[in-house]
Amino acid sequence: MTTINPKKLVTSLAGAALLSAGAMQVSADEHPIKLGAMYILSGSAATYGQFAQRGVDLAIDEINSSGGVLGRDLELVIEDSQGKAAVAIQAARKLVYEDQVDVLMGLDSSGVAQGLVPTIPELRKPLIITHAATPDVTGKLCNAFTFRISTNVAQNMKAAAQIAAETGANRWTTIGPDYAFGHQSWEFFGNALKEIKPDVELMEATAFPRFGAEDFTPFINGVMDSDAEGVLISLWGGDLVNFVRQATNLGFFEEDRELMFTVGAATEVLTALGDRMPEGVWLSTRYWYDGYNNDINTRFVNAYIDAYGNPPSYNAEGAYAAVYAYKNAIEATGSTDGPALAKTLEGMSFEAPNGTVTFRAGDHQAMVSPNWGRSGPMHPEHGIRTLEDLRIFDAQKVSRTIAETGCNL
Amino acid sequence: MSGFGSALLNSLDIGLLLFVIAVGLNIVFGVLNVINFAHGALYMLGAYLAFTLMNLLGLSFIVALIVAPMAVAVIAVLIDRLVLRYIYERDIADSLLLTFALLLIINESVRMIWGSGIHTVQPPEMLRGSVELFGDARYPVYSLFVIVVGLVLVAALWFIFNRTRAGKIMRAAALDRDMAEALCINTKLVVTGVFAFGAWLAALGGVVAAPMRALDPGMGDKIIIESFIVVVIGGLGSFPGALAGAMVLGLIHGLGGRYLPEINLLLPFVGMALVLLFKPNGLMGKGANV
Repeated sequence: MTTINPKKLVTSLAGAALLSAGAMQVSADEHPIKLGAMYILSGSAATYGQFAQRGVDLAIDEINSSGGVLGRDLELVIEDSQGKAAVAIQAARKLVYEDQVDVLMGLDSSGVAQGLVPTIPELRKPLIITHAATPDVTGKLCNAFTFRISTNVAQNMKAAAQIAAETGANRWTTIGPDYAFGHQSWEFFGNALKEIKPDVELMEATAFPRFGAEDFTPFINGVMDSDAEGVLISLWGGDLVNFVRQATNLGFFEEDRELMFTVGAATEVLTALGDRMPEGVWLSTRYWYDGYNNDINTRFVNAYIDAYGNPPSYNAEGAYAAVYAYKNAIEATGSTDGPALAKTLEGMSFEAPNGTVTFRAGDHQAMVSPNWGRSGPMHPEHGIRTLEDLRIFDAQKVSRTIAETGCNL
Repeated sequence: MSGFGSALLNSLDIGLLLFVIAVGLNIVFGVLNVINFAHGALYMLGAYLAFTLMNLLGLSFIVALIVAPMAVAVIAVLIDRLVLRYIYERDIADSLLLTFALLLIINESVRMIWGSGIHTVQPPEMLRGSVELFGDARYPVYSLFVIVVGLVLVAALWFIFNRTRAGKIMRAAALDRDMAEALCINTKLVVTGVFAFGAWLAALGGVVAAPMRALDPGMGDKIIIESFIVVVIGGLGSFPGALAGAMVLGLIHGLGGRYLPEINLLLPFVGMALVLLFKPNGLMGKGANV
């Protein structure tokens, strides 16, 4: 499924013409460095894969037009994971054995990550996870070849618990998708909140609708009939869009509860909802495009909006940053040898749109932090809600210690 | 009590929408002997056409409700004439394969035309918000509208099948196509007409669903699984079967989601397994089918 991006073609042609004219060191037949990516490209969550692919394309364009990596161009080979572990495992093998990619990246779902990560060491290529958030893959399932550049559930929930503890709500429940992500979000949130505020009540009655359930009315009614004071909502994608619209219809947002959406500030969802995302609820994202004041972020956000007409989502940023992580690692290593690259990535720091990112040596989790804010007025140009009272947490403070992760590298 | 009342209404709302979609699948199977895997894709097409008509062309919901299902019915006639007619006489597995291919083609076409993003359609002004029912419990107006549409269709379909000549011809063609042909019924026309009618029902379900469900390229896949569960529970090939199956699944979702949220994932399959154990042809299924 290699896509031919006409723009990429033009830039590489232009680059090639420039280089040969200047008689630079690059020989024309030097083969490119191949990045193998796995994202959800079909079905309900296809929009996440599309944002990621755009992030990758943007990074590759920038890098190739400024001379590539070790004088070689980068090339993307992308596969559809379909959000299924079995499909992703096959895709990873195809990428490594047939397409001969040098490095792997991607993964949109915790379920996929849990299935794929244990098979990565046999492929002997590094994998940078850019979206899937289950703590396990940089915890009890960690291995020498797997890294994660995006925030995990443990980091996000520790931050969420700090906000929750500052609110007046003492009785909490959850609505989340019925798989690893929903259950682990609630588990880590509960544990972190209990630690800060021991007298808080975590309700027995929780709701985990099927992923893709379409009708969330029964679950919303359940919460509205309960005496919950705060609700942690870890639904995402189309589920979250459905939930918000159905909850609006039922008057859920007019009731007085603290609402925290653990992936509510995904621009994929904010774009779909527009002003129907209620104001004043807590929304989180792994990266908020308006939250970082540095040159790399300004350049990235502007280039992304220029190219695609909307602001980048956290998934686009994660994918973009992963390409730069590989660029830095390959240059530092001086080769694309899989095991050597994995060694370099361990403990490596580099500059990304969300600041300096370090892959912690003990568990390969990037020291990044979630962004939490309250939904504010509509952005005049971008057609989505803005985030107010934006909180960017200290990655060191919200991350588990290596001992807590259960990772033993 | 008010909670129970709204849970029951919610079950009815979910069940009737499922009925509108699954009954088309069932009628098509009854007459064409084709299990249409692409039925969910036609539902999705209805929803996306409604999105185009309403959000991009600025037309009203009523226009979408009339135009989108008709457009999908026309597409269905083309599908029938161009591909489906070649496999009527073949084994049922062939129709599964062919319609699965159609599903993939429609899914990818939708993604190419409308993009991967999630789209939404707003309900018309008068169907927004909620009303007070059962004392203090509130119920969304739009869900009441879905219930009304569903009940009207139940009545209309019952009338068509039992009281009109077209309905009798459809039932005759379903029972014995050769005999019907011997009696000078143009079965080719009937078959194409029934397939288009099934697609019309799917697309109507899509338009009705659009204002409360997110439009994304996977929405057809989600509904086809539900529709198959309806058909397994109710019985393949019968109109009362689709109604019974849809109501049971509606109750499973509505009451199960409300009172047994921990096991909501399991319940539809438990229901399906129980039916298969005790009534292998479904609640209303006839022994002869499948």
